[in-house]
Amino acid sequence: MTDASPVDVLAPVSGQVIDLADVPDPVFAGAFVGPGLAVDPRRDGRTVALAPAAGRLVKLHPHAFVVQTAGGAGVLTHLGIDTVQLDGAGFELHVAEGDEVAAGAPVVTWDPAAVERDGRSPTVPVVALDAAAEALVDRHEPGPIEAAGLLFTWTR
Amino acid sequence: MDKAEQILAALGGTDNIVEIEPCATRLRTEVHDSSLVDEKALKAAGAFGVIASGVTYQVVVGPEADTIATDIEDLM
Repeated sequence: MTDASPVDVLAPVSGQVIDLADVPDPVFAGAFVGPGLAVDPRRDGRTVALAPAAGRLVKLHPHAFVVQTAGGAGVLTHLGIDTVQLDGAGFELHVAEGDEVAAGAPVVTWDPAAVERDGRSPTVPVVALDAAAEALVDRHEPGPIEAAGLLFTWTR
Repeated sequence: MDKAEQILAALGGTDNIVEIEPCATRLRTEVHDSSLVDEKALKAAGAFGVIASGVTYQVVVGPEADTIATDIEDLM
């Protein structure tokens, strides 16, 4: 991959695509760390969150991870809002920080319904870190998406 | 000053920090005295944004938040 390659960013989970502006968190809604989309995940028990792109897991928390592509594009997936407060409870990691992952590879198993029962939003923001808003094309319309479906393409 | 030193200074220094914790994209911190917090200086230090609520501040620094928090704790 060259630096100029566009990156297809996949949905980490199945659910409903929503605008980042509709995420119940001012940092994501304000696109402070970058533009993107979010997925309101389907509540059907424990489910696997997938890598949205191929690359290295440069950051891996139980509730959030960043995949950096060979071209240097960083994609943040955040599983739920304020889920750092859960301290990893209910999140099962399948990989380690620094691992190379394929697009669509399993990263974390979690339970969106359990996060919601605990009083937090299970919404999953997917953010193109430090990207310009206009760099995102082929954005998925608000509505249903399956995990590993194309969420948006990041032109670089 | 490096980024951690600048952020710590902009939060009013070590004595003003009750607690500081990283999450994936931000530093969550509670301070004793919010009048000692300099939001402009936080942005000058590289923060993308600052969300303030009383004595609680979320300093948005991106995915390096955990590294910066460790550096700040080392300074304290």
